Amino acid sequence: MEKGIIGKSELAKLVEAMAADATCLGPVKDGQDTVLAELGPDTELSFDYANFRLPVKRLFFPQSEVTCVLRDGQLVALPPPDEKTVLFGVRPCDAQALPYLTKIFSDEKYEDPYYLKRRENAVIVSLACHTPCSTCFCTSLGGSPAGRAGCDILAFDLGHELLLEAETEKGKALLAAHEALFAAPTDAQVTAAAEQGAAAEASMAKIETDGITEKADQAFDAPLWEEIAARCVACGVCTYLCPTCHCFGFADEQVGNRTQRVKCQDACMFPLFTLEASGHNPRTTQGQRLRQRIMHKFSYTVKNVGEIFCVGCGRCVLYCPVNIDLREIIEEVRK
Amino acid sequence: MSGGATTSPYLPSAVTIEKITIENEAKDLRTFRLAFCEEADAAAFSHACGQFAILSVAGAGESPIGIASSPLDSGYVEFTVKRYPTGVVTTALHAMEEGDQIGLRGPYGNAFPMRALEGKNIVIVGGGFAFTTLRATIRWILHEQNRARYGNVTVIYGARSPGELLYKDELKGWEARSDIDMFVTVDKGDEGWTGREGFVPTVLQEVAPSADNAVVLVCGPPIMLKFTMPPLLQLGFSPETIITSLERRMTCGLGKCGRCNVGNKYVCKDGPVFTFKEIQALPEGAL
Repeated sequence: MEKGIIGKSELAKLVEAMAADATCLGPVKDGQDTVLAELGPDTELSFDYANFRLPVKRLFFPQSEVTCVLRDGQLVALPPPDEKTVLFGVRPCDAQALPYLTKIFSDEKYEDPYYLKRRENAVIVSLACHTPCSTCFCTSLGGSPAGRAGCDILAFDLGHELLLEAETEKGKALLAAHEALFAAPTDAQVTAAAEQGAAAEASMAKIETDGITEKADQAFDAPLWEEIAARCVACGVCTYLCPTCHCFGFADEQVGNRTQRVKCQDACMFPLFTLEASGHNPRTTQGQRLRQRIMHKFSYTVKNVGEIFCVGCGRCVLYCPVNIDLREIIEEVRK
Repeated sequence: MSGGATTSPYLPSAVTIEKITIENEAKDLRTFRLAFCEEADAAAFSHACGQFAILSVAGAGESPIGIASSPLDSGYVEFTVKRYPTGVVTTALHAMEEGDQIGLRGPYGNAFPMRALEGKNIVIVGGGFAFTTLRATIRWILHEQNRARYGNVTVIYGARSPGELLYKDELKGWEARSDIDMFVTVDKGDEGWTGREGFVPTVLQEVAPSADNAVVLVCGPPIMLKFTMPPLLQLGFSPETIITSLERRMTCGLGKCGRCNVGNKYVCKDGPVFTFKEIQALPEGAL
């Protein structure tokens, strides 16, 4: 089944049906925020949100997770969680980031079972944005408010109903499994959804990113990094909230009488990130660290895995406590 | 993988500390001889000169250390570990005793291109405790099945003081051989020292090894590398024939976690071995 219409009032039934063999998460109001939370039969879904504060990457690459525990004097690996999930209401920018992360967490010699198992078990249902934020710039980086990259199903909010369009076999299978709950869309509904997507896309401001990789390489020794970083407080929020940032570390910890090794998200914006036990630190200034973050996204990943590691979600712009604006950095670099 | 319910790239294999050798007067350098607890892990492990592995002390953490034994030393793997007061893992390792069990994953990284270097004269320049993977390489070259594959072997090795020289007995053994030219130096000798005094770059200029059909493998602290490159170039070594090994903080060893990233290279995966030419192409300050 490729496309289906479902009334918003029928969604509870769909959630209940899906919950038989999967954990369902969807957008739920939490104070002023909307968060991606587990859905029960009576959970009220929110459709009035720009995006979640935390990127969806956290469900595949969590802030911390135990990878090994010590048993009888020997470390043993914990298996990755093996649980089917359906993520409803993911914004297209967050979905676009997932294939990028897959390129990091798997290659010809390496597979991160924790990321890959979760990814394999998840069906991503994106919800197209109709009113992008002022900080959104996905269209400048190959995305769109109705972008389909990385999702299994793309949903459009048509007021009283949702139109769901399957993008992958996984998406088609999900629609087919619950076929009875869906009506066939009319041509008018399909057209309305397409027009809505196009209108949202047209409403967005675009920044120039042509040649950003070459320009960033050329700007490596430019003074702009230290100038921009002068007000950076190295809080790392730009990396934790970034849907594509993927640096991590390990920490051994003792919990009760259990010794365990935890894989944690980490950030290149921290001075300790590269500090060696000898005291040597290859990146001693915040400007060097900020440069590392930008170069990594706009040059190194392009050379290594063929993608700019920015989807224009705007979180780093929105939540930076000192108003460092990635869009302005891109503009500066391109000068 | 022993005991694991899944194949995790982050799970170390269990190894037993068979032997601990205190290497220096300051006693902050110890060589750990490790043997795999499981036969399958031992059979699966094979490394090349210049590679490193990640040692793991449960409860303390992990640390990447160059492999100091030769790939032809069978039945064990050796690591010479410097303890830093701020180094949680190295301090925990130094508190361990023979018979204790730790973890090891790897080997990781690329290696010295030993096959491609066959037929060439080999110049080895080492400083301080960065000599470990060079020691692995010397042992490999001097092995009876390999020695004939290489031309002259010249070793210039320096430490701060006589007490800080690594592998002292082995150095004596090499000095007694006719198929390797040894030039061991210390920054400053003591009353018992009758050998050479002087910094590595200076001794390199005095020894002046020929660059004809030769490559140089050079490992040392950043300051030594910085002052060793100009004389090497002056001696006629081209940047492609100067091979070195970079050090960075590392966590995963797999080119993913981001710590050792220099330009678009990851020292743990694309290195640690780089030619000086490759290093010159990396953003400034890669040494």
